[in-house]
Amino acid sequence: MSRSIVEIGGRRLPLTNLEKDLYPPYGFTKAHVLDYYRRIAPVILSHLKDRPLTLKRYPDGVEKDYFFEKRCPGHRPAWLKTADLVRDGGERMTVCLVNDLETLIWVENLASLELHVPLAKAVSPKTPDSIVFDLDPGEGANVLDCARVALILRGLLLEWRLAGFVKTSGRKGLHLYVPLNRKEATFDETKRFSKAVAVVLEKNYPDLVTSRMAKEFRKGRVFINWSQNDASKTMVSVYSLRAGEKPVVSFPLSWRELENASERGDPDKLRVLHSEAVRRAGKSGDLFRQVLTKKQRLPHP
Amino acid sequence: MAGGTIWKGRIHCGGIDVPVKLHSAIREERVQFHLLHKRDNAKLRQVMICAYEQKPVPAEEQAKGYEVEEGKYLIVDPEELEHTSPKESRLIEVHEFVGAGEVDPVFFGRAYYLEPDGKASGYLALAEALRETETEGVCTWTMRKRSWFGALQASGNGLRLSTLRYADEVVPAKSLELAKIPLPEKELKIGIELINQLSGPFQPEKFENEHQKKLQHLIDRKARGEKIAILRPRRIRPTAPDKLFETLEASLKKVA
Amino acid sequence: MAMQGIWSGTISFSLVAIPVQLVRAIEPGRVSFRMLHSADYSPLRRKMFCPEEERIVSPEEIVRGYEIGPGRHFLITDEELESVSPERSRTIEISEFIDLREVDPIYYDHPYYLVPEKGGEKAYRLLAEVMERTGKAGLARFVLDEREHLVAVRSAEGVLALITLHYAGEVLPAGDILAAGGQIDALEKGRMKKEIKKRMSRFDPDAYADGRRKSLLDLLKKKAKERPPVEAPAAEGEETEGPADLIAALQKSMRKLKEDR
Repeated sequence: MSRSIVEIGGRRLPLTNLEKDLYPPYGFTKAHVLDYYRRIAPVILSHLKDRPLTLKRYPDGVEKDYFFEKRCPGHRPAWLKTADLVRDGGERMTVCLVNDLETLIWVENLASLELHVPLAKAVSPKTPDSIVFDLDPGEGANVLDCARVALILRGLLLEWRLAGFVKTSGRKGLHLYVPLNRKEATFDETKRFSKAVAVVLEKNYPDLVTSRMAKEFRKGRVFINWSQNDASKTMVSVYSLRAGEKPVVSFPLSWRELENASERGDPDKLRVLHSEAVRRAGKSGDLFRQVLTKKQRLPHP
Repeated sequence: MAGGTIWKGRIHCGGIDVPVKLHSAIREERVQFHLLHKRDNAKLRQVMICAYEQKPVPAEEQAKGYEVEEGKYLIVDPEELEHTSPKESRLIEVHEFVGAGEVDPVFFGRAYYLEPDGKASGYLALAEALRETETEGVCTWTMRKRSWFGALQASGNGLRLSTLRYADEVVPAKSLELAKIPLPEKELKIGIELINQLSGPFQPEKFENEHQKKLQHLIDRKARGEKIAILRPRRIRPTAPDKLFETLEASLKKVA
Repeated sequence: MAMQGIWSGTISFSLVAIPVQLVRAIEPGRVSFRMLHSADYSPLRRKMFCPEEERIVSPEEIVRGYEIGPGRHFLITDEELESVSPERSRTIEISEFIDLREVDPIYYDHPYYLVPEKGGEKAYRLLAEVMERTGKAGLARFVLDEREHLVAVRSAEGVLALITLHYAGEVLPAGDILAAGGQIDALEKGRMKKEIKKRMSRFDPDAYADGRRKSLLDLLKKKAKERPPVEAPAAEGEETEGPADLIAALQKSMRKLKEDR
């Protein structure tokens, strides 16, 4: 077992199993994963900051068993920031907060390829910072159908003076975020709004959209998963890798890019690999920055 | 007086076979409070509420789920769980012996007294052998459908069994990875002197559960309708790193 | 509800005060279950229920009471409870040092670690190092979870390890169960000592795994292969589309949007 020590932010971190291929047959080792997160850290950290992290660990690579962990592993250094939450069942749980590069690297040394966070911060678990429309293509639908739905949604939201930001899911779907960043926001309100939007889209585009989770409705359509607007739910973080055949990233897109891809019918443009993610983030910075800062209010009709 | 017999088994190790009965060695005391409804002081009951129906769900409608992915569960039914419980056995199997005091305190769970079950000669010989060799036995057994890990120790002129926590539940001190800070030898020297001045024998009887008494006192005063003065806890000011030496010196002066 | 750490305060000995946080030394194993409603697999929440009014009571409506007779209670507030020992709720004041080897393990209750907070690193390190070199542990009392504990603080590899101790009054006297008396058979004792010496070893806790946990994990693995996991109905129990006025307003915007195209 290989082992090397790196020093980050004055902390010494032992890194293990660096040569382990986590994405066979593509060929992307744990060293590559660590390098990806180190390079993407300048843009991903603000999106993880102060949010309870859910780990999805693939110690033996994407083809083998993985561990879904909401708890912060017990063997953790004292400097690691954590928060104690009380779950619905009354059970106490200590979670990791990834607020700096050293924590990110520590987490990735556990082979947590995917990083999932809730829409709320640990100190205010009942206050969503944004609304999410999780666009999930059913069997027979693809990411271009999601792009169509996202563009329609964008138009509808603009009618309501709400700006939205879109990212790829890193799998087949798209995630559209509507920032709120207001203390008064509640999940009840965001869920009600997102469900109503999903229902209205379904009525207007019955062949393209469904607001219902059941498989029979989803075939050939895009499911607008409004139920993600819940305190108990998490979304894959923007810039997180996804566990799949290739190291694809959940990456933000400009609306122009989405329009172009939709017009050209080119789904490949909507799949961003690790190297492209690092290059694009280096060039244009964090396209998702406003999701954390833009203050918007949900109108009350 | 130790509690009643809670379990019976036999200590086994190679040629050693000693039947014993378990008794609790610890009884905790604490003032019991109830949670009440503010408006009518009705005693509240804890219930499980279904998130969508907002009503209590009876035990027979509750299922155990293991979350494999967000909101996705593997349901494990009680019979299946039953199968995972270890087979009942009456054997306290001693696997090895280690020096008394070698087990880190962090591992210790609950202590039980062992009473000889039947003839006492084997029991007494084992207790004496442990005492003379200054060792304790590391053992495993099954009790109340759980596998236990524990230490068999000499206690008085008898035997005691302490449960130990499994290694995967214990956070090793090392994993906290505290930063190393160099300390001037003169500060260490004065620190050692101070600690030696403040040292004495361990006399557990000296420490009564005063809090329990004070709590009882508070309750009595409330019962008489007295008003309770509210005292706020304060945090004391930390010693500044550059004042450490002089604070140690001042401390030493105070105790000397 | 969210909070940072279990407890944060000060540990002091004589005039030295060190800001610290209390962290767990025991973490539950990986296998933990959630309670679900067997009808639809929706997660269950633990709530307080008023049997008189037959309704769920929110945390703001709950008070703490001490029972003085059937159905008769005094109310005790958090502030009153804290006033019982205010000086010990934020400070672990070491009153004396002892040799930890003198402490019978029967007293050990629950272990924790203390980690230094900002500014306390140096004094923390000093206390740990000095206890390490002298083999001493500090005795203190402090209040955690509404209870005052007698605790021993020692150094474990440079980390301050705190362990709550049972009060002497909580340790039951062994009484006559151990006072069986009787002659010790020297032959039998000799045989046992031989047996012990044959099996002497270093304490290696990693060699002992909870068999139950392993078989639970095996069971879960097997189940995962057999059939896909169940999913809660994602609040689809709520049949409504949403407030009619919201739907109507959205529909109006939608119509406008379509006409503009």
